[in-house]
Parts: sequence; C-alpha cells; structure tokens
Amino acid sequence: MSTLTLERLNKTYGGNVQAVRGVDLDIADGELIVVVGPSGCGKSTLLRLIAGLEEISDGELCIDGQRVNDSEPAGRDIAMVFQNYALYPHMSVYDNMAYSLKNRRTPKEEIRRRVTETARLLAIDDLLERRPRQLSGGQRQRVAMGRAVVRQPKVFLFDEPLSNLDASLRVQMRQEIRRLQKRLGVTSVYVTHDQVEAMTLADRLVVMNGGRIEQIGTPMTLFNQPATRFVAGFIGSPAMNFIDLAHAEQTPWLPASTPGGALTAGIRPEHLQLVTAGSGDLPGRIEMVEPLGSESLVHVRLGEHDPLLVVRLSGDELPAAEQPTGVAINGPVHLFDSDGRRLP
Amino acid sequence: MATFQRHRAFPWLLLLPQLAIVAIFFFWPAFQALRRSFYVQDAFGLGERFVGLSNYVAVLTSALWQQALVNTLLFSASVALGAMSIALLLATLADRVLRGAKGYRTLLIWPYAVAPAAAGVLWLFLFDPSLGIISRALGSLGIHWNQRLNGGQAMLLVIIASVWQQMSYNFIFFLAGLQSIPASLLESAAIDGAGPWRRFWTITFPLLSPTTFFLLVMNTIYAFFETFGTIDTTTGGGPNNATTTLVYKIYQDGIVGLDLGGSSAQSVILMVLVGLLTLIQFRYVERRVQYY
Repeated sequence: MSTLTLERLNKTYGGNVQAVRGVDLDIADGELIVVVGPSGCGKSTLLRLIAGLEEISDGELCIDGQRVNDSEPAGRDIAMVFQNYALYPHMSVYDNMAYSLKNRRTPKEEIRRRVTETARLLAIDDLLERRPRQLSGGQRQRVAMGRAVVRQPKVFLFDEPLSNLDASLRVQMRQEIRRLQKRLGVTSVYVTHDQVEAMTLADRLVVMNGGRIEQIGTPMTLFNQPATRFVAGFIGSPAMNFIDLAHAEQTPWLPASTPGGALTAGIRPEHLQLVTAGSGDLPGRIEMVEPLGSESLVHVRLGEHDPLLVVRLSGDELPAAEQPTGVAINGPVHLFDSDGRRLP
Repeated sequence: MATFQRHRAFPWLLLLPQLAIVAIFFFWPAFQALRRSFYVQDAFGLGERFVGLSNYVAVLTSALWQQALVNTLLFSASVALGAMSIALLLATLADRVLRGAKGYRTLLIWPYAVAPAAAGVLWLFLFDPSLGIISRALGSLGIHWNQRLNGGQAMLLVIIASVWQQMSYNFIFFLAGLQSIPASLLESAAIDGAGPWRRFWTITFPLLSPTTFFLLVMNTIYAFFETFGTIDTTTGGGPNNATTTLVYKIYQDGIVGLDLGGSSAQSVILMVLVGLLTLIQFRYVERRVQYY
C-alpha cells in the first residue's frame, strides 16, 4: 500500500535534450494512473525514471514519502511489465516468476506457494514448466503480469504492455489488468499511446506532450473539459473539430460573452448535426461519407481552404455526398486562446 | 521430385567441385597417413615395409610423445580458457562503450589479422632474455626471465602469444552475442533485484552459452592445430621439448626426422583424440547450452 510522488521531475540527455520537463504528480494509494501521449512525448522516459532505469536529472521522486532518487531499481520495490515482456528465454515460466523472489532470498517453500498462487490467479498454472518461446502472445503477457504480481511490490509499472497483442486479445487483457489491479489494490502507473486503453483503464489520466504534463484528471474531466487544445485533440475519437477564428466577436454562433480576437473553437463530432442547406450555424458541402455501421462519419468542407469538419451521425443516417448542407451545433463549444489554453 | 529423378547426373555435377576438393585435400592425405602408419620407410623414400601396429606401440610407449601429450593438454586448456575469459571480459566492457565504440572494437580485432608466425616473433622480441622490454621489466622486479633455458617460462610465452592471437576472434563473437541480448532483459533483472554480478551469471552468461560453446570447440581446435607457427618461431618446441605439442612433434618427427611411419601414426592418434574431445564437448558440455 503505497503512494508515489513526483516533484519537478526532469530528465535531460546529453545536456540539451529535455525528455521530461518539470513533471509534478501525486499518485494516491491503490490508484491506477495512465500516462498517455504521442510517441516521443516522454511518457516512457517518465516510467523509466520511476523504475530507476534512468537517472533523474532534477527533481524528487518519493515512494511512501521516502526519497528514492538515488536508490537502485531493486531498492525501490517496484515491478515493471515491459512492452516486449522481457521474459527470460532460458528459464521456465516457474523460474521466470520465482527469479525475483530467489534474488531476495525468499525461502523455497514460500517461493513455491507464492508462484503457484499467482499462477492460479492468472490462469497460467498449467504452463509453469514451459519456456517463454513455447507460449502464445497472450500467455506471455500473463506470465509477464505474473512475474510482477508475485513480488507483491509497492508499485506496478506498465510500459505499453498490450501493444504487441492483436485487437481482440487486447480488449480482454485490458479488462483483466483492470480487474487484477483493483483486486490487489497496488498503486500503478500505466503508459500507453492508445487513448481507448487510457480512457477505459484510468482512475486518472495524465496527458503528456513534449516532455510536459498537459493535463491530469479523470477520463471524463479530460473529455469534457480539456485544459488545452492538445488534450482536446488527443482525447476522443474521431478527434475534435477545430475552427480557427480571426475575429471571434464577429462569430454569430458563439455566446455573446466570448472575448474578441483570434481564437480556436473546438467542437466534438457528436455535437454537430446536419440540417438543410441554408439553415444551421455553418454552411458547407458534404465531401465524403464513411458508413461504420453503428455510426456514420460525414466530412463537411466549410470553405475552400478550411479543414474538413467531421460530423458524427447515427448509423442509419447516410446523406448523399457532394451536396450542399447546413451544420448546426448542438453541444458545448470549447474555446482556446492562441497559446492553446482553454478559455473558461 | 519426378523432375529431379530424370536428371541423375546433374546434381552430382553440381556437387563435384566440393567433393573433389574434400577428396584431394582431405580424404587422400588422410588415407595416405593411415596407410603409412602401418609401414616403415627408409630415409630416402625408396622402399617401405609393413610393420602392423608397431608404429603405434612405439608412439604410445614413447616418453617424449607422452610428454607432448601432457604439454598439449596443458597448453590447449590454458589457451582456450585464457583467450575466452579475457575476450569475454573485454567484450563485456566494450558492450558498455558508447562513444568511440567502433575504434575500440577495431583495435581489439587487429591481432587476429596478424600471421601466427609474426605474432610469435613479436612476443619473442618482447620477451627476449637480453633485449626484450618485458623481460627487462621482469628482471627489475627480481624475476629472471629466460625462455630459452626455463621450460615453464617457454610454455608461458607460447600460451601468452597464442591467447593474444585468439582473443580477438573470441572477442568479436562474444561482443556480437552480448549485443543480441535485449537490454530489457537486464533491466527487468535489475528491477527483479539482481545486482550486476548476479545479472551477469544468471542472465547474460546463460544467454551467451551457444556462443561460448561454439568458441570452446573452435579454441580447442585452434590450440591443437593452428598454434604451430607461433611455437615454431618463438621456442621451436624447446627447451628440452618443454613446448613440443602433438602437432609440433608430428612435424619434427616427420619432416625434420623423416620418420614418416611414426609421424603418420601420431597424426592418426591426434585425429582420433581431437575427434573424441569434440564428441565429449558435444555430449556433455552442449547439454548445458541454452538454445532459445
């Protein structure tokens, strides 16, 4: 049962490349934090800093209030699940799971008991004698989980653990990880680039971009009140529509209280609807219709040089393409200033 | 298959160059050696007489041959062990080198490009009793070095020269082996609470074992056969046969002493010996190799 505190955490490579910049994060006991962001945003580096695989350039890292900046990975009492699972290929599943316990001089009986118990929990108890190469992707994933669980560590770290699995297995393992984490109540940090995974797993989401934290909050907070234009565009699929406005005060569909000047308006595809040409808030032309069965995505061109607007309709609405149309706004409009920050 | 069965001669034609080379340069001389080992020849090569197994009896009961056998075992074990452990150490260190890694590797690979005889002469200079830098340095430490008089020192010299040569070869293989071990395995082991020493012996070393086994076989063969040049230029088998190995003795008895029958018997015995050794290595050592 542990808390994890990151204070002004920085990582600089070779004096000038800043991979992680001033990250502050308080993780409560038993919480599952998902760090999400595009590749190269520093999320994996952040995880490696917590694990002790990279040296912290500046700032403080505390586990249970104890500063662990200078502890070896082994001294931090964490367990990590790697993207490629990092199973020891020359050891059986049993030995893979027992390895960390052996290193800590746990008595043999205790090791046997804990490994079998964990194996049963993860439904891999009939695989204990096998070598990793004799396992399927999903089984390897379970063994990697088992190796982390058997330690009973203070903190779990997950580095994109599902990205090597096929889609259906990924959904299944996602649910299992969630269930297991809640059952064991171990504080966890989970890194992914997949926003569906992020939304479904997280107690709280951390969105990173360019080494910085853009926003921390529950998935619904991030979805409904994105703090920056980046978060607004990153969370939600299909992505939010952005309309750049040179003179916001002249835009009739914005509330009267809107400040003037250059702004960006963000509207989610589900908060738009098509109306007959000539009515609605925005005139446009339907350029393409993507029927997905359960929903239809309609791409609307507003002006010749404007980006396409995506409108999400229910699956049975299939308007014809190459038709003029009106677009009506029937949901919240998010406003961002020229620095990409949300306006209240 | 039907297509191939109609062309019976063609596959053999394709195999012919390879078969011819093996036949002419291996089977024919090997057969000659085997045949000669049952004969004695006169010194001018004009006549020969069948003597059955008496060449073998003479070789196996000869005190000089027995000494050469002991020399060879001592020499080969030292060379294989020395060349492999030093190479492994250097490769482990080089694996961590990030800047200038290429230059460092190239430097370490160079000794392999030096001909064995030249390498022997190089070490001979360094250890020359009156002129050599190393022997003078040893002298100032109170160690009297003279490989021309002291058999143990002569043996040490040929071992050093051979280890130096073979090390580069081993180094390349070990380094390649180390670099094919995913970093995440060692990171995972570090998180699992294994210190550097334990990580090396429980993760790195077992994962390197296919490389290590291959090198063990190659180094044994190197020490048995390919060190001839080094021994010939540095010590010439002496002093008092202290550095005469089995291969060197075959050369001395056959080429220098013109005892063709006796040296043929020795080479047959050597072939059987190395065959046995390799068999043992495959039966008993390979079992512990972790192929994955």
